[in-house]
Amino acid sequence: MKFVIVSLSVLFLLVAGCDGSRSANDPNEMVLYHVLYTKIKGLDPGDMRDVYSMMVASQMFEQLYQYHFLKRPYEIVPLLADGMPQVSDDMLTYTIKIKRGVYFQDDKCFPNGKGRELKAGDFVYAIKRIANIKYLSPNWSMFDNKIIGLDEFREYTKSCKKLEDVDFSRAVEGLQRPDDYTLVIKLKKPWPQMVATAFADISTSPIAKEAVDFYGKGITGHPVGTGPYKLGVWNRGSYIELVRNPNFRGELYPSEGEEGDAEAGYLDDAGKMMPFADKVVWTIIEEYQPGWFLFLQGKTDASVIPKDNFDEAITQNSELTPAMKQRNVHLKTFDDPSTFFLGFNMLDPVLGKNKPLRKAISLAIDRQKFIELFTNGRDKIAYGFVPLIMDSYDPNIKDKGYARYDPNESRKLLAEAEKIYGGKLPVLKIAMPGADTFSRQYGQFIERQLKEVGFQIELEFMDWPTYLGKLNTRSLQIFASGWSGSIPDAQDFLQSFYSKYWAPGSNSYNYLNPEFDKLYEKVEVMQDCPERRKLYRQMELMVLEDYPAAFINHRVAYALVHDWYKNYKPHAFAYGLSKYRRVDLAKRAAYKELLKTIK
Amino acid sequence: MTTYIIRRLLYTIPIVFGVLLLTFVLFSLVGGDISIEIAGKNATPETINEIREEYGLNKPLFLSWDSQFINHFKSALTFDFGRARDREPVIDKIKRGAGPSLALMVPMFLGEVIISISIALIIAFVRGSKWDILAVVICVAGMSVPYLSFILFGQYFLAYKWGLFPVFFSPDLIIPQYVVLPVLIGIITGLGGNVRFYRTVMLDEMRSDYVRTAFAKGLGTGRVLFKHVLKNAMIPIITQVVMAIPFLFLGSLLLERFFGIPGLGYLMIEAIGSRDYFIINAMTYISAILFVIFNVITDICYAWVDPRVSFE
Repeated sequence: MKFVIVSLSVLFLLVAGCDGSRSANDPNEMVLYHVLYTKIKGLDPGDMRDVYSMMVASQMFEQLYQYHFLKRPYEIVPLLADGMPQVSDDMLTYTIKIKRGVYFQDDKCFPNGKGRELKAGDFVYAIKRIANIKYLSPNWSMFDNKIIGLDEFREYTKSCKKLEDVDFSRAVEGLQRPDDYTLVIKLKKPWPQMVATAFADISTSPIAKEAVDFYGKGITGHPVGTGPYKLGVWNRGSYIELVRNPNFRGELYPSEGEEGDAEAGYLDDAGKMMPFADKVVWTIIEEYQPGWFLFLQGKTDASVIPKDNFDEAITQNSELTPAMKQRNVHLKTFDDPSTFFLGFNMLDPVLGKNKPLRKAISLAIDRQKFIELFTNGRDKIAYGFVPLIMDSYDPNIKDKGYARYDPNESRKLLAEAEKIYGGKLPVLKIAMPGADTFSRQYGQFIERQLKEVGFQIELEFMDWPTYLGKLNTRSLQIFASGWSGSIPDAQDFLQSFYSKYWAPGSNSYNYLNPEFDKLYEKVEVMQDCPERRKLYRQMELMVLEDYPAAFINHRVAYALVHDWYKNYKPHAFAYGLSKYRRVDLAKRAAYKELLKTIK
Repeated sequence: MTTYIIRRLLYTIPIVFGVLLLTFVLFSLVGGDISIEIAGKNATPETINEIREEYGLNKPLFLSWDSQFINHFKSALTFDFGRARDREPVIDKIKRGAGPSLALMVPMFLGEVIISISIALIIAFVRGSKWDILAVVICVAGMSVPYLSFILFGQYFLAYKWGLFPVFFSPDLIIPQYVVLPVLIGIITGLGGNVRFYRTVMLDEMRSDYVRTAFAKGLGTGRVLFKHVLKNAMIPIITQVVMAIPFLFLGSLLLERFFGIPGLGYLMIEAIGSRDYFIINAMTYISAILFVIFNVITDICYAWVDPRVSFE
């Protein structure tokens, strides 16, 4: 056997031109071992919208603002900004001071390879870059028709032949920098969510223009930011290793949090200089089984719980099993700001003008059963579309009965729907965004539920690009989908029912309600206040009453962490969290011994 | 012989051209406009137009020197496949993935061929015995078990439970360390079908007169099997073996995915899933070239191992 292995090893070396073994990590070096369940697309913040890319890039790039790590409800605090913005009385001008002494990481794009100081102009450049149509940023929609002169700048870029031809020194009235440490933003109309939506989001992170010019299209693989870490190795599709950025100015671990944080140990490191870890390593593991095994072997610090391993980890009382307790594993759960649903295309001639039909579909779905079957009972029923984590979540929404399971009522509504239609309803087509096992099982579950009350259903399993293409061209009839909020403000969810955002915008239902639109235009310029919260709830009810979708579930995230992994407090909106994490190296080493006794 | 090789290589030109035309027609005409997909949700019509311009999708399909097909043709000839949808040059992705894929596939392939031919020779020799029957039953059973089951079983017991191999790729490991288990799994899963095929080939030869003559003359079993039978069975073996070589380049999707090997199998499947035509085009084109080259090599090998085959 040994001979075979040695022979094969020699052969592999010959074939692969192997670069030899990488030196093992220093045992005293603090390394965070993470898992990514999908490959990341790139590390250019302006061209980024997928969660996994943001999880990695947020350790290297910083924004003007960030969410407080510990406080709940979520609170925005300065990061690169020197204080919260000064807002004019008309809410149209924001003046933001920039911290001094912040440096970009060293990189060969700078003279002598030394990172230069961050200036206000870097933020102006980041925003103009997103506006540049040649850059094809997926983030433009957040700035569309918001900042004075920025839309005109975008128009100008259309006249440029190539990406490189765009003149970024061209003035934009709404983006000014009176000095190197002051940024002034002038808006066309009030935008109360601006700080959360745009300036606590990685897309506006300053990226050195020198780096963009130097690396050209290769910038996606050469991140040059100001964050606590910088890119060490990126073996695309395999792993990513970040190392400390020696130019990082340092940041203090928060000294206050919410009630219970001190008892939970989240304030043990209060006031200490961050980051704690020397390296952060992500291994890309797209199958759950190996990820789970690595966690149990102690080779990763935290893990999601794969559906098939749920019973191994969690009891019926939602507690850790004795086997997990023996391993000193901790369970962390939190409400995810997400809603999953079956959407109805309101432009569809069968569905659009037949409310009893849409309601009949909604009442035919046993959401509790779905949650038990597909999420091991973890998720929560979506009685409306605003997730529980939002301030404007209506605690009485359950009583309104929009998500109740009532097959008898559904049958009556179906009969009513057929009268409106003028005969037997045609086969309804439900589009599923995938042909994987989950999509098939999910589709079959919905199909069976609807067939039980008398519907004729055809499932259409599509790959994601086909699904997206059809959704964007408004050619799906019923579609399984989900929505995840990026800020702790239900406006993120309400906007998907605003008629100006019909597909390919966020309103995939192509829902139109002039009364809703009026209210939306009113609330979108309102600061957070009880009145706005009341209006949000009113708007949610307006939508629910029209049944543009059958809302099914809100996800509840479960994560397991080893006891050596410190300061792991779940956060629904922030990604740049590695700086807070700390590893108790002695406990990590002790786990190896513990494993021997378990085996 | 040189004339023959040149003639065969010239034949490959229309084949490769046909592949280029076919992939272009499939992706451009049948696959439809990919700009909406690239733009994603919330994209404005202007953004979609810009994407068309960036990727040259607004150019005429055929009837122009600057048409999409001519550009597709040029990029293939120069091996400049442009950038994938994540903006990384396609050729960089292929170069990076080729090493790990070959590190997995080459030893797996060699192991499979050597072991299955050896076993096939032995069980062909003891044909009709209980060992032959047992081997055939095991082969059929092995072929009936899904590939994924071997992977899950191997990863759970050999790697996780017994700790004989790493569960998954890790930056601290060298390639041989994290490739051993998937290679073993690959060899075992491939044995059933291969042993059955080679056994049939060997059986045909074992019934020949020259085998009986060789034994009658007193030659040893090993000499008869490995020198005479094996040599005469080379034509079907060469067809099977040489024609499999181009596909080694394509890697193995499941093994790569379960063991974290950043190879080309996974790259290709991902590209198909996300309709990254730039990668699919490049991979199809390179595979086509490899396929026709190895086809020529197969023909040359025929003449080399069998004097009855000539280059005329």
